Amino acid sequence: MSKYQLLPFRFQKFDSEQMLIVNEVGEFFFIPLKDFADLVSNNLDVKKSIFLDLKSKHFTTDTEIEPVIKMLATKYRTKKSFLYNFTSLHMVVPTLRCNSKCIYCQVSSKKTDDMKYDMNEATAKRVVDMIFCSPSLSVKIEFQGGEPLLNFKIVKYIIEYAEKCNSRHHKQLEFVICSNLTLINDEMLHYLKDHNVYISTSLDGPKFLHDKNRPLKTGLGNYDTVVENIYKVRQHLGEKSVSALMTTTKESLEYVQAIIDNYITLGFDSLFLRSLNPYGFAKRDWSEIGYNIENFINFYKEALNHIIDVNLRGTFFVENYTTLLLTRILTPFSTGFVDLQSPAGVVISGVIYDFNGNVYVADEGRMLSYEGDYTFLMGNVHQNSYNELFHSDNVVLLLKKSCLECLPRCSHCVYQSYCGADPVRNYAEQGDIIGNRMSSSSCKKNMSMIRHLFEIIRENQRDKMDVFWSWITRRPLIEKSKC
Amino acid sequence: MKTIKGIPKNIDESIVGRITKKPLRRFSRRNSILITNSLQDKFNKYPAVISNDNYSESYLKRNKSVPLCHSVAEIDYLNDGDIVLIENNGNINVLYEKESSTNALMLTEKCNCDCIMCPQERKTKEENRAPLNLKIISLMDKSTKHLGLTGGEPTLIGNDLLKIIKACKKAIPTAQIDILTNGIRLCDFDFVKKIVLLQHPNLIFAIPLYADTDNEHDHIIKARGFHKTVQGIYNLALFNQRIEIRVVLHKLTYQRLPKLAEFIYHNFPFVFHITFMGMETRCLAEKNIEELWIDPHDYMSELKDAVIYLNQRLMNVSIYNLQLCVMPEELWPFSAKAISGWKNIYLDDCSSCDFKADCGGFFEPSEDRHSSYLSPIKKRLDKPFQECY
Repeated sequence: MSKYQLLPFRFQKFDSEQMLIVNEVGEFFFIPLKDFADLVSNNLDVKKSIFLDLKSKHFTTDTEIEPVIKMLATKYRTKKSFLYNFTSLHMVVPTLRCNSKCIYCQVSSKKTDDMKYDMNEATAKRVVDMIFCSPSLSVKIEFQGGEPLLNFKIVKYIIEYAEKCNSRHHKQLEFVICSNLTLINDEMLHYLKDHNVYISTSLDGPKFLHDKNRPLKTGLGNYDTVVENIYKVRQHLGEKSVSALMTTTKESLEYVQAIIDNYITLGFDSLFLRSLNPYGFAKRDWSEIGYNIENFINFYKEALNHIIDVNLRGTFFVENYTTLLLTRILTPFSTGFVDLQSPAGVVISGVIYDFNGNVYVADEGRMLSYEGDYTFLMGNVHQNSYNELFHSDNVVLLLKKSCLECLPRCSHCVYQSYCGADPVRNYAEQGDIIGNRMSSSSCKKNMSMIRHLFEIIRENQRDKMDVFWSWITRRPLIEKSKC
Repeated sequence: MKTIKGIPKNIDESIVGRITKKPLRRFSRRNSILITNSLQDKFNKYPAVISNDNYSESYLKRNKSVPLCHSVAEIDYLNDGDIVLIENNGNINVLYEKESSTNALMLTEKCNCDCIMCPQERKTKEENRAPLNLKIISLMDKSTKHLGLTGGEPTLIGNDLLKIIKACKKAIPTAQIDILTNGIRLCDFDFVKKIVLLQHPNLIFAIPLYADTDNEHDHIIKARGFHKTVQGIYNLALFNQRIEIRVVLHKLTYQRLPKLAEFIYHNFPFVFHITFMGMETRCLAEKNIEELWIDPHDYMSELKDAVIYLNQRLMNVSIYNLQLCVMPEELWPFSAKAISGWKNIYLDDCSSCDFKADCGGFFEPSEDRHSSYLSPIKKRLDKPFQECY
């Protein structure tokens, strides 16, 4: 008769001494190989403290099973709570026109005078009506582009119409404009202040790098303007009103520290290290600006090291992707980030409305459409109802095929609880929404990053873990008090 | 509960009333017990009179049958608004002190656990205490900020508990009510629902959890309770109730404190407060002292790991009933004073300590049983204590 019952978990040999085991709710344990062998062969002594450790984390039980399953179920619901509310992020493209000519532009932006790529009022109204059909209690409207400020008229229309609609719906409503910040003026700033709008901009590093990656269509650099406007935005909208995204090109790989230090000098308290995604110009010019994922992983490790050091020297500075992964690994909570969900965050967490009213399951789905591939088109706000758009057979099928729990290789991957499915990426890279993990670069990227974090977590050095927790909780490390 | 001695006269059965030092008009006297230095007056209509004066025959002439408790030496302990119960043997039990923030009502002495370190007397048979408790609540000062409902196990009185909570909502509407329960009966969803439907605005359920695994917890409470308590906590969480988890520190709990902290964070991240409590060495705790006693100094490392772990995760955590001088200074900001005024003592040595006012102090029985690492602390100019907060 067995002494105890195992509960579901996944495992992988971490090194020559330890097995990493992770259960359905993301609780993990490093177990010596010998004890692991005993555990699975029903030979582990239930009196040993290691058995209690495993029992405490619900890897096993030697007493009751049903109440333990109930506890796991409760934790599972918490981990999957992003599913409760359905779509909260609604991205809107007011125009495809842009005054920038970024070398990796993923949306094939249009000339600044090509007005047929602007959203009109009728479409904007339908888009907002559709957004307010979402059952989510919190709604974030994020303006993407092109450069949204080139069609500020429609941005204003959407903000005001959304506010009007919300006086009936009482949702937690938030606006973000993703802008290159070259065109912002005082009048716009006053407007954005009055309507509590946040700014998300792009900053690729020091001047030479930023201007190389993100020139204007005129051919000129814009770094100085962007920096000046970042300060201006902070002055008008508040210190925390602007955040920045950083895209890593082949050129960036050599300037890890310079990029980070530049962010700190400019007064940012976080950055998001993004690898290059193979859409649009980035795909076309991959051989010039792209790189192997191994290169990015080295870049990431070096960056993380440097950022931790910066924090330990007394500057609170957060790497956002790491924080997302750490939150998934170390806390019982769920995160809202679209790319790290199972089922995938497409539709469930976010959708995008293009200038012409087309609705796509994700921004990358829209990017593919500019190459003539409409696989991820949900429909159009003028032709389809909310139900037709969000509950179509296509959407359901897509989500069914994006549960890590039943995707090949992901289904038994030890990191499954922390990772997410990205069907659009799989399709773009491999021509198949399920995809093949063995040759998937995003699989390799996430696995390597998560493993790297686990190495640090296993070392369990107090100061490094303090830094990690200060990121997760967004509570700056107080100067080690003397008491 | 503080008890003061006096000599009874005309007291046949126990009398409950609210203390007044100021004489009241005849028709306002119904629930008030007068405190007086001199018995040279008429006291008709008071349910009782308490005095430090001596009884004389002349009292009887003026007051006939008005119950009296005289020659009370500690009369200064009593203040306006306090509620007392005078027994026929002359004992004055102080049931409620208006100025105290640690008032509690004993709802029942029965319990469905038999905790190895229980500091309470227990009875298996008792008369219904609800009428008395309801009366006490009705006499409480409206501005009362805090009341504990304790036992025994308060949930065992079932519907009477609902009546008590309802009475609190009416009589002391702004008071925070702490229900000290083992949570076992709260696994009954419908019972929790009934409590919640009373819509008391300020309830806290203080629930003990002694281990991260069932056998180890159940060994301490001497009942099969772990999973029911867990279910109770979940039921409360479903209704968004405020929950405090209480961990008593002793030899059977200290080793896995860090694991228990992990368990709490991952399973009950919604709790509002977690307290680690020094053990009160009375009753069963005293009887089982060999199995339970560990010098607090010797569990500090585990306690520190657990407290720091939870604090790092933004969990609200406190340490009760322990002395600053046995704690590493890193833990000082978490130390809170929680021992009821009448139970809280300090040792002779403590008088020379600069931090006595900030210290959690001792339970009375700790006079004999306490850490051997106690020593008065001197303020150092380079390390002002306030800086820690």
